[in-house]
Amino acid sequence: MHLPMAIECRGISKSYPHFQLRDVDLSFEQGTVMGLVGPNGAGKSTILRIVMGLLGPESGSVKVLGYSMPDEQIAAKRNIGFVAEDMRLYESETIAFHMDFIKSIFDTWDDDYASLLLRRFDLNKNQKVKGLSHGQRVKATLLLALARRPSLLVFDEPTTGLDPAVRREVLDEMMNALEDETRSILFSSHNTLDVEQISDYITFVHGGRVLDSRNKEEFIDGWRRLRLTNANGAALPKLLNIKGVQQSGRLWAVIVNDYDDDVPAQFSGAGLEVNAVERLTLEEIFLANVNFAKANAQPELAS
Amino acid sequence: MSASIVPQLVKKDFRLMSRTIAMFSLISLVCIGILAALFGHVPTWMLLNLGFLLLVSPVGTCGIVILMKTNVFEKEKSTQPFIMSLPVTVREFTRAKLLVNLPLFGGLWLVISAVGFYFAFGLGLFPLSTVPFAAMIFLGGFVAYTVILCISLVFQSLGITVLSIAIAEMATSAYLSTIAYLDPIAHHVAGAQVVWNSAAITIAAAQVAVALFLIVATVFIQNMKRDFI
Repeated sequence: MHLPMAIECRGISKSYPHFQLRDVDLSFEQGTVMGLVGPNGAGKSTILRIVMGLLGPESGSVKVLGYSMPDEQIAAKRNIGFVAEDMRLYESETIAFHMDFIKSIFDTWDDDYASLLLRRFDLNKNQKVKGLSHGQRVKATLLLALARRPSLLVFDEPTTGLDPAVRREVLDEMMNALEDETRSILFSSHNTLDVEQISDYITFVHGGRVLDSRNKEEFIDGWRRLRLTNANGAALPKLLNIKGVQQSGRLWAVIVNDYDDDVPAQFSGAGLEVNAVERLTLEEIFLANVNFAKANAQPELAS
Repeated sequence: MSASIVPQLVKKDFRLMSRTIAMFSLISLVCIGILAALFGHVPTWMLLNLGFLLLVSPVGTCGIVILMKTNVFEKEKSTQPFIMSLPVTVREFTRAKLLVNLPLFGGLWLVISAVGFYFAFGLGLFPLSTVPFAAMIFLGGFVAYTVILCISLVFQSLGITVLSIAIAEMATSAYLSTIAYLDPIAHHVAGAQVVWNSAAITIAAAQVAVALFLIVATVFIQNMKRDFI
């Protein structure tokens, strides 16, 4: 079955004095979760803000739930719940004030669900925002986004700075939100564990560019580490998909992307003994990607 | 479903500002009471200076505090991403801010203008010939506020807004001093009756036109913005 798209970004670019988002493509179907991974300053927040219509791209097109952004942002944002790490509520007011305010805007607001979330998050709706801890504030903003029952949830670093227990609560509630099979989530994080746990798709962003965007299984399955013994000082085969090499005497560890069953044979053919082929965690893939991107950015910077 | 959320945004800001409005209204009432008590007991020049201080200062400060809290602090305190994540455009956000700030300051300014006129002319403190000049003073104050409001809406910067307050204050003083010495105005100030000559009408109309132009220009500039966070 061909599902309608939750988000379709084509060739979006945005320039700042010290940063450029270049030719970003990003798309996923409704009912799925897309995790944006990348180091700080990679462009994740800029992408999410363009998706939300808060920033206008200089080129390219953005469609969210079928609506063109930013031109049709009112219609689109009626169906989006947005939570950003740097988003703040009104300090002098209570959670109840914010709930009433959101309820007055969204006729989809679900009072029962809001009460349930208050209990689950252990929040007192009569407490003023200035008295909330960071974790409570994140949970309060999450409550305000979820209880309006949006079709799309956009989270920018939702778990940053949270202790493990609160992080678990937030992730669990994100998972619960997916019980409605038409609901989609786009979220950014540099916590690869979070992304690995709940994403269907992963997009890796670095230096304002999308380096890879795929189904999670395919994404993780495409990476391998080969443990090699290089007894004769042989050179590595010239493969384009080698993303990292570590040497410790005769023992080498080589990380490759786009792995297939022919890869070990190519190393053996070059005179290297393949001792083991290991799968990588998303964290290891993240680090390999960042290191590779940094290493390849140096010649560009020098020129 | 596609109804504008401007009314909700305006209501939200009025609720957020309710304590500030109540506090400054109370201060203004106390100041009016002080002026009334002093009336007839102190020399006219002292009453004039006290009148400016006690009537203009609380309302001017209230207007500035409200525009800071509802607009500049929205960005400074990062509540703007929360608001802009709602179904609202930059144009609607600007409209909401204008609909909060202009009526609030305008209403209070109108009240203190009426009180000022009552003390000055109703109780016979000044000759009626100074009515046009007094009207220009109060209109000038409103234009100065509009300049500050529009600059704060466009830039949403604490530094630039504070700078605009300082410049608007100096510019208003210089402007009022200039028109006070304009022959067609000065000539009638010393007279016995109200004279709305063409110069007085033109200056008053120009003040209204400048305020309107600034508001329209602000809405236009805001509409042109591609980034709003």
